[in-house]
Amino acid sequence: MLNLIKRDLLLSFYSSANFFFTVSFFVLILILIPFAFGTQSDQLKLLFKGVVWIALALSIIITVDRIYNADYEDGNLDIIMQKNKTIEYLVISKYVTHWFIYCLPLLVILPILSFLFYLDYFETIQIFINLFIGSFGMVFIANFVSALTLGAKRTIFLKAIIMIPLFVPFIIFGSDAASWPILLGLSMLSFVISIYVTAYGLRLYGE
Amino acid sequence: MYIKINNNHIELIKSANPYLIFATIFVFIIGLYYSLFQSPPDYIQGDSMRIMYIHVPSAWFALMTYSILAGSCVLWFITRNPLFNVVARSIAQVGMVFTLMSLITGSIWGKPTWGVWWVWDARLTSMLILFFLYIAYIFLWQAISNKELASKISAALAIIGFINIPIIKFSVDWWNTLHQPASISKLSTPSIDISMLIPLFIMTIACFLFLVTVSLIRFRLVLIENKMLRTIN
Repeated sequence: MLNLIKRDLLLSFYSSANFFFTVSFFVLILILIPFAFGTQSDQLKLLFKGVVWIALALSIIITVDRIYNADYEDGNLDIIMQKNKTIEYLVISKYVTHWFIYCLPLLVILPILSFLFYLDYFETIQIFINLFIGSFGMVFIANFVSALTLGAKRTIFLKAIIMIPLFVPFIIFGSDAASWPILLGLSMLSFVISIYVTAYGLRLYGE
Repeated sequence: MYIKINNNHIELIKSANPYLIFATIFVFIIGLYYSLFQSPPDYIQGDSMRIMYIHVPSAWFALMTYSILAGSCVLWFITRNPLFNVVARSIAQVGMVFTLMSLITGSIWGKPTWGVWWVWDARLTSMLILFFLYIAYIFLWQAISNKELASKISAALAIIGFINIPIIKFSVDWWNTLHQPASISKLSTPSIDISMLIPLFIMTIACFLFLVTVSLIRFRLVLIENKMLRTIN
């Protein structure tokens, strides 16, 4: 499992363009807010709390093709699955690497952005905690959608249509600062569902 | 639990088709006559509440169809009987139509009553999500080229999407929404007058007949499609 995590992290660091693209995408969506709604500070504050979730959802959706597809196409997935009897280890290592590569940079850049949108420290910490919890849940969902749609090539729109309805509860409870316990519960629930469904999908395609 | 479909069954379905279509149209006409002419207008909403007679049955059947879909997917995983997969695939399109129907009629009713076409409340939004779940189920099957795999994958998605059904059902009780709670329940006496209940009942039967008719036609088509796929592969 640690070997798999190490391999995926190294692969992503060698091609660091992916990493910068996701961060830039996230930042650019948020930069669109003042252009679209004007520069009143209290309005920007309100909009930022909601749009940051949409930006997170979109930046996870554009990375969904990168989770299992490369391994599936060059045959690495078959080899990993033959070597490891318990495929759940592979799934967990993919969760960890996907979160590290595509969600952690967004969370790191979030405080800077929230100061640009005139949020104070307390609000920034609240948003950070909510995004931290919610991003795990979104990653779990993105993983199982990616595993289920391995056979459907070049269908990013279809994947978005499957994923956005499943992201809705996270966005509902995430944009409300007080409801982080519900968000934590949702993330745990999606972990339990996701680990079985991802393993099921990978076994179907691996055979 | 092993049911085998042979050619006799398919012939039976085929021969029953015209009668079912005729019965559906007949019951729809009776139901429309009762709901448009024989039932009294609401004392507050006036004649605009008559759209309820098509809105409520289609919303019920949208939920019921998804429950049947998810249930038959579960049964397919348990029993491995391919019939359940055919049932799930033949019923999905009709469910999508029912969902769209209830959304459209609901917003037509909402304009004179609430003053707006659409409200972002829990019941309406979760119903819209149900529509996208149907779309995801149907188009995921089409997107994957290996059809045996596609059936399994889309069935797994349908089972996950079943989480939405209790949310829709209980959204009016859990959250404080604009959509009114259920007025008709078997367990208690309904809070609706008998003169309005009769056309609603007839329209429900009509919608049920529509569901049966269209999904039986789809059932036959799916079987033919499966046969074709088997000869190609």
